[in-house]
Amino acid sequence: MRNGLSIDILSLGAGAAIAVVGALVLLDSAGSLDLSLGWMAVALIGAVGAILALSGLTRQPKRHD
Amino acid sequence: MNDTPVSEPPREEPSGEATTEQMPPPRRLLRSTGDRVIAGVAGGLGRYFGIDPVVFRIGFALSLFFGGLGALAYLLLAVFVPTDGDPDRAQRLGARLRALGIWRGLGLVAIAIVAFFGLSALAAVAAFAVGLGWGVPVAIVIIAIGALLAIASLRGGARWLIPPAVAIAIGGGVAAASDLDVRGGIGEREYHPTTVRSIPADGYRLGAGRLVVDLRGLDWGKHRVLPLEVSLGVGQADVFVPKRVCVTGTTHAGVGESEVTGERNDGVDVDHTPAGSRSTPRLNIDASVDVGQLRVINSDTADVDRPGFGPGPFHEDTAPLRAAEARACGTG
Repeated sequence: MRNGLSIDILSLGAGAAIAVVGALVLLDSAGSLDLSLGWMAVALIGAVGAILALSGLTRQPKRHD
Repeated sequence: MNDTPVSEPPREEPSGEATTEQMPPPRRLLRSTGDRVIAGVAGGLGRYFGIDPVVFRIGFALSLFFGGLGALAYLLLAVFVPTDGDPDRAQRLGARLRALGIWRGLGLVAIAIVAFFGLSALAAVAAFAVGLGWGVPVAIVIIAIGALLAIASLRGGARWLIPPAVAIAIGGGVAAASDLDVRGGIGEREYHPTTVRSIPADGYRLGAGRLVVDLRGLDWGKHRVLPLEVSLGVGQADVFVPKRVCVTGTTHAGVGESEVTGERNDGVDVDHTPAGSRSTPRLNIDASVDVGQLRVINSDTADVDRPGFGPGPFHEDTAPLRAAEARACGTG
């Protein structure tokens, strides 16, 4: 869905989600955070899920089923 | 003799119309448009088989944890089984695939496979870089790609960048969280120490590959207590000890499987503490594998090259290993 400002919501949301994961990787690699694999999995699945959800929400249906 | 033909009561010939009226129309598997969560596959299957669709939904969900064949089946059913209403996107995709013909369809499948392996390679490269100690640069790259996506969203978007960005984020994220370390080298390392002094003080380490430490050639005196550290980034680590040696300490597998003296565990963050005992001779192990398999095999006869494959006490039956451990540690 692109509004009047021509913002691609999917790219924006995906960028934010990817950046959040990158921040977690940064904190973990720098030693500021000791993230377990389980919590990282939660973060990754959340990011991918958010991107998929945005992809679905921003898709304009051609017809209603 | 009476030649007059005997008139028989007219038999009712079955007509096509009568058959049509009497026989119910053949059931056809259709995806449900009224009872759908994703593509109506479970709803259609439930209606076809007369079973609650929730059963199929649970089955498809569970299949994701067992190889994902159910997901593939769902995808194929979504694409190639029509809906009971207006054609949806999946049905139109299926029609397009059929219209493309076999070779073009195979070509598309090939492209999808190449894309899948390409993205997997990208994730592996990111994970490997993190394992080499470049976690911070990789993280900065991931954040930069995220920022690039956000900026590009103001100029129409850059959706093509999302799959590679996700692949890099997954590879880097998993490697960072599992503390992957592949700086110990790559390849196959096999050690058969015959004296305690020949064992490195900081233990045995390998970045990626197969690490074998066979301690069965050591002189395990009756009161020997041997501390040992084993660390592997990605791959398989096998530690062999005589069956009369009690194994204590801790083992850790970030992602994968640990099989320690016959006790098998798998999954994520697999920690195992062998039976606490002060029996001697004793191996006090501190072993970790970031991604892969860790085995401590207490057997006098196990083959170093093929433990766990073919006939033998491993994988097929680990009870002898557990029994030997219980005897050695005095816990049986």
